[in-house]
Amino acid sequence: VIPDQTTANGYLLVLAIMLPVIGILLSLAAGGRYVERIAMVLLPVGLVIAAAIFGLVWRDQQSLVYIVGGWHPPLGVALRADGISAAMMLTTAIVICATGLFARGEFGQPRGSPEIRASQVFWILLLGIWSGLNTVVLGDDLFNLYVALELLTFAAVPLVSLKGYKETIKAALRYMLFALFGSVLYLLGTVLIYGAYGTLDIAMLSGRVHPEPVAWIAASLMTMGLLAKTALFPLHLWLPPAHAGAPAPGSAVLSALVVKGSFFLIVRLWFDAMPGLMNFASGQILGTLGAGAVIFGSVLALRQQRLKLLIAYSTIAQIGYLFFIFPLTAGNEPWDSVAWTGGWLQLFSHAFAKASMFMAAGLIAETLGHDRIAEFGGINRVIPITVIAFGLAGLSLMGVPPSGGFVAKWLLLLATVMEGQWWWAVVMLVGGLLAGGYVFMVLGKALGNASAPLKLATPVSRAREIVALTLALCAVLLGLVPLQPSELLQVGRPEVLGVIAR
Amino acid sequence: MSAGALLALTIAVPLAMLAACVSARIRDRMPTLLPLAPLPALMAAIFSNDGSTLVLPQVLLGLTLAIDRPGAMLLGTAALLWIAAGVYAGAWLRSQSNGGRFATWWLMTLTGSLGVFMAADMVSFYLFFTLVSLAAYGLVVFDDTPAARRAGALYISLAVLGEAFLLMGFVFLAVGSPDGSLLIRDAVAALPTSAWCDPALAFLILGFGLKIGLVPFHVWMPLTYTAAPIPAAAVLSGAAVKAGVIGFIRFLPFDTALTGWGELLVAAGLFSAFYGVAVGITQSNPKTVLAYSSVSQMGMLATVFGMGLVTADSGVPVAAAFYATNHILVKGGLFLALGVGMPSRVRGFWMVLLPAAVLAIGLGGLPLTGGALAKLAVKAPLGDGVVGAFAILSAIGSTLLMFHFLRRLVLSASHDSQTATSVRAALPWLVIAVGAMVLPWVLFAQAGAGPLLDALAPKELWAALWPGLIGGILAIGLWRWGYRLPHVPEGDVFAAGNSATRAARILGTLAERTDWYLRQWQMAGVLLLALTVILIGTMLTGH
Repeated sequence: VIPDQTTANGYLLVLAIMLPVIGILLSLAAGGRYVERIAMVLLPVGLVIAAAIFGLVWRDQQSLVYIVGGWHPPLGVALRADGISAAMMLTTAIVICATGLFARGEFGQPRGSPEIRASQVFWILLLGIWSGLNTVVLGDDLFNLYVALELLTFAAVPLVSLKGYKETIKAALRYMLFALFGSVLYLLGTVLIYGAYGTLDIAMLSGRVHPEPVAWIAASLMTMGLLAKTALFPLHLWLPPAHAGAPAPGSAVLSALVVKGSFFLIVRLWFDAMPGLMNFASGQILGTLGAGAVIFGSVLALRQQRLKLLIAYSTIAQIGYLFFIFPLTAGNEPWDSVAWTGGWLQLFSHAFAKASMFMAAGLIAETLGHDRIAEFGGINRVIPITVIAFGLAGLSLMGVPPSGGFVAKWLLLLATVMEGQWWWAVVMLVGGLLAGGYVFMVLGKALGNASAPLKLATPVSRAREIVALTLALCAVLLGLVPLQPSELLQVGRPEVLGVIAR
Repeated sequence: MSAGALLALTIAVPLAMLAACVSARIRDRMPTLLPLAPLPALMAAIFSNDGSTLVLPQVLLGLTLAIDRPGAMLLGTAALLWIAAGVYAGAWLRSQSNGGRFATWWLMTLTGSLGVFMAADMVSFYLFFTLVSLAAYGLVVFDDTPAARRAGALYISLAVLGEAFLLMGFVFLAVGSPDGSLLIRDAVAALPTSAWCDPALAFLILGFGLKIGLVPFHVWMPLTYTAAPIPAAAVLSGAAVKAGVIGFIRFLPFDTALTGWGELLVAAGLFSAFYGVAVGITQSNPKTVLAYSSVSQMGMLATVFGMGLVTADSGVPVAAAFYATNHILVKGGLFLALGVGMPSRVRGFWMVLLPAAVLAIGLGGLPLTGGALAKLAVKAPLGDGVVGAFAILSAIGSTLLMFHFLRRLVLSASHDSQTATSVRAALPWLVIAVGAMVLPWVLFAQAGAGPLLDALAPKELWAALWPGLIGGILAIGLWRWGYRLPHVPEGDVFAAGNSATRAARILGTLAERTDWYLRQWQMAGVLLLALTVILIGTMLTGH
């Protein structure tokens, strides 16, 4: 299935990883004042590259491969873009570009303005995250993936404390420490695998791994390490303060993309490196943690008084849905790929919707000078586009059509019925209800009248409102994906999709 | 113009108007244009043939719109109400500061309300159903009073709950549908033999039952209709609620007798029919009385659906649609009558009272009214047995409730501070009143209940008259001794549900405290290790 030669246009994969790195190097050479301008040039180029990779994989229904330096694994390193990586890269590129446009209002460096450390650092971190994510989705070697993941973490952590407040520094440290615990577990698993099978190349591993204790232990350790970085309930201690404390464009990228990086690796691990290794019970455990996240995260979101914390808890809940992929993709009937497609669509639509929501929250906070939900009355008159963006993104989270969230939920629900695992359906429906609760809790206030005349802090530009709206519309447009297993997302899958041995 | 184009315009025109609302200038003028939005729907209902179908391109999900006889009846009548209420809204919004916002919510609700009558596949049905349910929230809370906010919160919670029920029902339908077809017709045809028939029906009945306000899901109706502005209450009670009715019509397999589900619907429907009357007569706000009358009327319709399932009566869809069209006009009209705002001492008050009396008492089945025809149309499905007897009792109850409404109408009009009444406010009411008196006679031939002359036979006239007489006598008793009735708060069961809110609050606090513990370092560390051990354990033991 996997070509062992560099395919035509394989160089695009290298470009996708290197382009942000080049940007970082250039800005170090040219000086921090120019980093925004450099980023503004590179962002659209990167978007075009991601779109080209997506288009090629879609057109040819075949993975793109690049063998770095012509050295084949296990000696060398391979980059591979299958269906899920291509879709993930495009999502990443769109969200990063939108974030870049949005962030100009906060971290812009107009000509002649003084050098501000936060601005310089922001753009470099944004590029770092982009490169890290591209490496995560393209890497084909468990150790390389570890390095990519660390790059991602170390670009993400400073983003949290960019403002330099005491509590954000505390949140960032908390994030970093827990992520490092995760890294240790992941690394431990990698060592075990290398010791047992003598390779870390995913394609080679899939042929060598046997269902035996060492593989099970290694896989469990790596999974738990990645779960810590994904902030799956109940390992979410770092997420709310970090995602709520970061500046709005930072929160957008962290919530929409960064937590998905480690999730992506969990999927790589179970579906590509060790297919057929997971048993029913462990699939149920991952699903149960996901279910806990959905219910618990949503209930806590409902209890929040501040918008950014509400959105952060909503992220915890929405991540939970992704883990229904594992219990629901057992066996190899065609319906399996229903859960597969549903799970990925949940990831993509949540990425757009959540980025849009955090941007909207940032705009509201700038306009009002605070983000206390109880005092939102009347903002609809001031920044209607932002409120619409928040509402549309919220509808996608609730799973209301037409939206990617609806398609995702529909497919996942179909899978629960087909697999006879109705308990996940109950969780999904309750999760949708609770999401409706917290979305309308905010909208109800925003659409109401002000109890006292609104004191406006800073006016926000229409352009930034439109960026938030565009992302929300992306989530809505994903709702036009046909309600069936996507062919693109199956490109590069092994013949038997089931992750759970039967 | 081809039928397909008409179907497309029915959706496209309100959507285009909605899109135009992006411009603040057009938005502010939109209230006066509102009556134009439902015009294509009215034309589509009149001019398109039974079975006209429009399949949208694949890019638009291949949504399929189609029109059949029950759909056309409901679509046309609902469009008429939307037009009349739109005229009223346009006049009323002149005194409001943010008419543009009202118009935006109005157009969204309208699109969903009309679209749902034409939806032929599950996705478009769910789309329009969601639109009409969720967008109505904006109309309910428009006045932004504490009562409106409370009603809005309850409304949206139950609407979202209904969405969840329906989604699950549709998933069960889709799984049992041949070749994964999403067309409602295919899925419903396969339903009786599907392995998922029972769960599908359970969720569908819950979802649609919630929409039409079957007890105990009726709590949103009195609060919402009372809090919403008059034109909104008119379209919500008249047109929007019929999304649930068309749901039952489209999704219940009336060709096959399904024991159990039919009886259940009959029982729930009859209970609602009497419950609405019993609580309705204790209410003093005429809007609330109308809301409880809706609970009762929709309960009667649910009974008809239930009997259709019990007896495998494939004539039920048309009969029920006819019954519902009468309710659209009468209920929507009576809300508009409340909005005329004419003091009862003014000489022209008879213009409000007289047609209102005909419509209201007609709802109970007064001979020669649309209500009598509606009762006649569903007579066959209801049968002559116990259910038929209950239906007559319910007609008596309806008459009683409507006499009570008329009295509250007069009383509230005499106290009403709204003084000036414009012709523009009275005109829509009169149009709907005339429509409600005439249209049922025009449509009756399509209702499949035999020739129109039968309705004029002395036997039928008497059958329609005597329950009304008893109702009238009971109404006199109610006026005389009514003050002795206990006072039931609007939204009855919900108002008593404070303990539920308290329980929810305790649960929320508990969740917060748990979260605090989970987010302590020691706890998170222990959990990380414990979960690792558990995962390894299941991997080792599971093989």
